[in-house]
Amino acid sequence: MKLYLSLIILLPLLGGVINALVGRLFPRRVSECLACGVIWGAFIASLFAYHDYNGAIRVDLINWLAAFDFQAPVSLYLDPLSLVMIVMITFVCAVIHTYSVAYMTEEEDYVRYFALLNLFVFAMLVLVLAENLPLLYLGWEGVGFCSYALIGFWYREEKNATAGRKAFIVTRVGDTAFGIAIVWMYQLFNSVSITTLNQMGSTVSVGTITCIGILLLIGAMGKSAQMPLMVWLPDAMAGPTPVSALIHAATMVTAGVYLLARMFPLISPSSTALAAIALTGGATAFYAATCALAQRDLKRTLAYSTISQIGFMMLGVGAGAITAATFHLLVHAFFKALLFLAAGCVIAATHHEQDIFKMGGLKKRLPITFWSFLAGGACLAGLPLTGGFFSKDSILMAVWLKGGTLYCGLYLLGVLTALLTSIYTFRMIYLVFGGDDTDKLHCSSAHSCKVSSVMELALIPLALLGLFGGLINIPSYLGVGWLGALFAPLTGGTELETSHSLELGMQTIAGVIALAGLAIAHYRYGGNRRQERLTAAAGPETGVVSFFLYGWRFDDLYRLLFIRPYEALSSFLWQQIDEGVIDDSLDRVAAFFGRSGELLGSWTNGRVSIYIISFAAGAAMLLAYLAWLS
Amino acid sequence: MIVPLTHVLLLAGIIFIMGLACVVAWRSNLIMMLIGIEIMLNAAMLAFVGGGAHWGLVDGQIFSLIIMALTSAEVSLALSMVVYLHRRRKTVNANDFSELKG
Repeated sequence: MKLYLSLIILLPLLGGVINALVGRLFPRRVSECLACGVIWGAFIASLFAYHDYNGAIRVDLINWLAAFDFQAPVSLYLDPLSLVMIVMITFVCAVIHTYSVAYMTEEEDYVRYFALLNLFVFAMLVLVLAENLPLLYLGWEGVGFCSYALIGFWYREEKNATAGRKAFIVTRVGDTAFGIAIVWMYQLFNSVSITTLNQMGSTVSVGTITCIGILLLIGAMGKSAQMPLMVWLPDAMAGPTPVSALIHAATMVTAGVYLLARMFPLISPSSTALAAIALTGGATAFYAATCALAQRDLKRTLAYSTISQIGFMMLGVGAGAITAATFHLLVHAFFKALLFLAAGCVIAATHHEQDIFKMGGLKKRLPITFWSFLAGGACLAGLPLTGGFFSKDSILMAVWLKGGTLYCGLYLLGVLTALLTSIYTFRMIYLVFGGDDTDKLHCSSAHSCKVSSVMELALIPLALLGLFGGLINIPSYLGVGWLGALFAPLTGGTELETSHSLELGMQTIAGVIALAGLAIAHYRYGGNRRQERLTAAAGPETGVVSFFLYGWRFDDLYRLLFIRPYEALSSFLWQQIDEGVIDDSLDRVAAFFGRSGELLGSWTNGRVSIYIISFAAGAAMLLAYLAWLS
Repeated sequence: MIVPLTHVLLLAGIIFIMGLACVVAWRSNLIMMLIGIEIMLNAAMLAFVGGGAHWGLVDGQIFSLIIMALTSAEVSLALSMVVYLHRRRKTVNANDFSELKG
């Protein structure tokens, strides 16, 4: 087991380091094979780890931080939660690496790209497998850095570099709260080991646990783009599309959910903290779904749908349903990676056109992409019998079963969000693939709208996993779910005891909602009405559409609340304090000494008589002093 | 000794101040400045001799002999320099020699 876990961690690191240091010396094909090979190797190692898994295990590799009684060794912890995460991460990452090889064929700077991608996988795996919080924080910051570097990958355009910085700075707010939580927990429990901490939940007052829970929630908000720290994710779409698929949909943004699920036994005694988590998740899910309704950019639509789906996972964690949240996390990783990769095919085929109102008729031109995208969309919308349907429904059911006014309200909000999700998903599909007006898309005979077959083939396994993802955790009226059985030893999560009729009823509601969304989208965007929407969309957006398009104008709000005052303060400190007070006072002191030096210097005018008088005066003063002494 | 030490020292002080005043006031002529210096040295010698007589020690007289020798050497050197300077600049005004000013 130690061998497998070491390989899982070290292979991506090895690939990243080799590519970063000497990747330029190899032929292109070698670099690409190395980058993909290490990730596939890590996937195989994690499959072996899964095969040999029998009970939670802790593996100590080397000592890392040790001072007095503070111990943070590099030790890995494999339990059901991290096990399913590493299998999912290595698989999705491996598929996306393979896809990237085809997507980035025309990119000159492929070595930097693949090195960063490998380092990202390494950091993510460290985050997931870490046994103590400092190590987890190392991975946490590692993915943050790689994300920053990859969002700004095409940094020669100002817009992309700004998006990278924005992501880095906004997530830093959450990281600070997380850092405070780690230090506080060490001060309280004298330990940073996750397994130790998770047994300590009941030893301190509920108020303290609530505060720690809220701090962890703020950390998760930053990384998982939850309200109010969600503004960075839509802008993060400036990076290459496989990066969006890998980091900003499938793996990194779920780190916040993973953190909360990981620390769940610690924070579960505090119902306030759980309610805050659930409320954050529910509000974010609704917010992002409304924003996605009005987006024009294909990738931004998907970004908002990611925020919304992670909101669902947070809602699940807040309701205490770790299994359901992880279930949705896994299925979401598959279908969201699929949707982004398919969007990458569309974008590559239309020569970097991202406005969905300028697309159309791609159904015939890109059949494999279309069917894969449709499968991903069906999962996202939660059409019955897809993976997304079962996972989203299990979260909603957990929220419903939790009872109480707050959770009932959140359930209704979740159902409304599911309806909106279905509407915007099919709006996107109708606009991108429906119709037949391909003239707008520079698809003359000179540039055929074709994409590399590797890219399309990579979609197929993800589509199958997304569609049949429901089998991971089948509803209890059909038997025992694989994930539920695997997660049974995890402490803290509440297992749902529910009657089969209620479960069936809930699933019927969810199915009807999803189909209703499809019907509404068809009514608005299907057939000839699509053309009307296109003409309507040609003009500038007004009113509520523009409100949603710009994400409820949160960027403007933050500009008003934080950026403007900060800039005003900075310019005040710069011009008034630094230049006005500090520099000016130093200048004045220097000028005083300069002038007095000049004054004394004029004494030495070379006239012997002055010297003699000064000498005599000095001697007289000395004598006078001596006389005064005696 | 008939003359008390205080009187001797007072006389020496007065002569010293007169010599100093000569050096300070008569700076338009280097030779007069040298004379002022001689007067100051003589005042010092007078103080030494008075001290030696008062305490009955020979040191004061030895010191005044040394000062005499030193003064003759100094005067010969200084006068030769004054002559040299006068040859170069046709003046003996001390204020005209200010090349060493900082």
